[in-house]
Amino acid sequence: MIRTLNIILVITSICALVGVYALKYSVEETASEKAAIQRLIERQEADLSLLKADWAFLNQPASVGPIVTRHVAELNLQTLAQEQFGRFDTLPMRMKAPDSGALDSLFEALDSGVDPIQQLITEAE
Amino acid sequence: MAAITESGTPIAIDGSRKTRRSLTKARIRWVIAALIVIFGAVAGRLVQLGMVEQDNTIEGQTRDLITASRPAILDRNGLELAVDIRVPSLFAEPRRIIDVEEAAQAIHSVLPDINIDWLRQRLTGDKGFVWIKRELTPAIQERIMQLGIPGLDFVTESKRFYPGGTESSHILGAVNIDNQGIAGMEKDMDDEGVALLQSIGLARGNELEPVNLSIDLRVQHVMHNVLADALTRYKAIAAAGVMMDVHTGEILGLVSLPDFDPNNPVTALEKDRFNRITSGIYELGSTFKTVTMAAALDSGKVRVTDSFDARFGVRFGRFTIDDFHGKHRVLTVPEIYKYSSNIGTIKVMQALGKDEFRAFLTELGFDKPAPIELPERRQPKVPEKFSEIVAATASFGHGLSISPLHMVRAISAFVNGGDLPVPTLYRTTPEEAEKRYQPVVSEETSERIRYLMRLNALEGSGSRMNKFAAGYRAGGKTGTAEKVVNGRYDSSKSLAVFASAFPLDNPRYAMVILVDEPRNENEQSGRTAGWNAGEATGRIVQRVAPMLGISPEFGDILDQKLVPAELR
Repeated sequence: MIRTLNIILVITSICALVGVYALKYSVEETASEKAAIQRLIERQEADLSLLKADWAFLNQPASVGPIVTRHVAELNLQTLAQEQFGRFDTLPMRMKAPDSGALDSLFEALDSGVDPIQQLITEAE
Repeated sequence: MAAITESGTPIAIDGSRKTRRSLTKARIRWVIAALIVIFGAVAGRLVQLGMVEQDNTIEGQTRDLITASRPAILDRNGLELAVDIRVPSLFAEPRRIIDVEEAAQAIHSVLPDINIDWLRQRLTGDKGFVWIKRELTPAIQERIMQLGIPGLDFVTESKRFYPGGTESSHILGAVNIDNQGIAGMEKDMDDEGVALLQSIGLARGNELEPVNLSIDLRVQHVMHNVLADALTRYKAIAAAGVMMDVHTGEILGLVSLPDFDPNNPVTALEKDRFNRITSGIYELGSTFKTVTMAAALDSGKVRVTDSFDARFGVRFGRFTIDDFHGKHRVLTVPEIYKYSSNIGTIKVMQALGKDEFRAFLTELGFDKPAPIELPERRQPKVPEKFSEIVAATASFGHGLSISPLHMVRAISAFVNGGDLPVPTLYRTTPEEAEKRYQPVVSEETSERIRYLMRLNALEGSGSRMNKFAAGYRAGGKTGTAEKVVNGRYDSSKSLAVFASAFPLDNPRYAMVILVDEPRNENEQSGRTAGWNAGEATGRIVQRVAPMLGISPEFGDILDQKLVPAELR
């Protein structure tokens, strides 16, 4: 009776021992995994913060401004003048119907080898 | 069992049962003793572990505080003015370092700017934590990791980075190496509670909401750009400017040159780097005539149709105050303003009464530092009581010093319909701003002042400004104040000021620009404020007005509408 009980107890304790150690090791492993992930997150957050700072820097008028001034001559950039602003009500209204007579004469002129628009340009020059 | 011994006394020999019982008792006692010892040891160890104080501090500061981050600062449109970056900081645990010399040499090979003797001394000893170098780059971290020295490790710290560099320095201020605000808005935010969050360890990672300021980075950039140009163009020693939304009191741009780089806060300590807008006080010269006019017109004692005799200088004892470019005739109120007549302004002030004039200055808040979040503020100097002569000089802006922020606030009130707004650097809604309004002049006076300011741009000293800002209905008043050198006014050194607002048909922004000790740009140009501060104002308006959604209008219909009915 006692012998059986003892055997059962010994077996139980061995099982418990194995179980506890297995648990311990798995917890340790999980903990180190967690630490590794945390480190990775930290590193990625750090990288992200640097990239964001980079983006903010490149987006600043303070960093775009000098680039613009550097290319003023090449791109012929000028400060926007007041006269360059337009309004919708200064635009002429669209014609009710196409001026077919004018178009016909234009095509006829083009067919006969005369380009009235080119003429206008050369006159202007 | 018993036996007879020689002496006759019987020897008692215990029975085997009794022997075993006593033996068992002894064993039990031993086991109990052993258990007590073992459990005692366990309990003792537990107590000992409980007593151990964990050192969470790093050289006197909690780890939380060092890794704490600050909220990002954005401008009103969401562009970043200040961000946090996470950077590694190198520390050592001297008690775990085996070979100090080797470690010192190795670190020195990666970070050659560290003094090697200092390093050796730093690594020797039994300390648990010493900083080697803070705020490194990830590349250097990698190289130090590769050295494989035991006892070296990294903490990820938050470092403040200002992508705009010097551009918004006086607004943002700076932080120290522990990420605590030491100046500007950074300091204000700490006082508002960021410091508390950091100290209890809540400010970590990206948990903090970014803060939106009222600044418009585009306006700020243009203003910085134009003022930097003004410094070289007019060979001035300093220049500053501030632009305010006249309805909400929000500051859209605030520049004071020379400035500093907040990424390198030491530069802020150099001479003359202070914030001229909030912590500089100046005699703002003729720009003050706008204040005098507003006071006089609002009282009803002076009407815009009145005329004053400006033929002769005004005498006070042995002093005579005369006009700079005098007309020496009878001038109407708009003419006094347009020609910037000192005599006329004194007469206008006298018609109002000096005590009423002084009371008006109190109403405008000229007795206290201008309310704004920046900690850098200064008490203005306005005499407690005005004597006749002090009141006379004060009417054209001499003998009293206020900050440019005071002036831009007053101009805002004069053009927005008469309500003094509270300047702020945080984004505000008009409703919130209205709750803090303080009425100072009537709507009618405000209309008159708008007319006078526009008139000065069309016909008076603001015409150079108007050349640049044509179409944007800007107007303002110049002020050229001679500086006091050794107790006297020195005519070769002056402070040029331009106080303006635009668009005057529906005022939205007020601006004050100052140029300190300007010189002629070329032979043909003058040295008075219209030539420098005025032109700078015009350039700024020309560039920022389209960004702020103000479209140019030509033709004089809008200007005609500004003219008061009685003058048409």
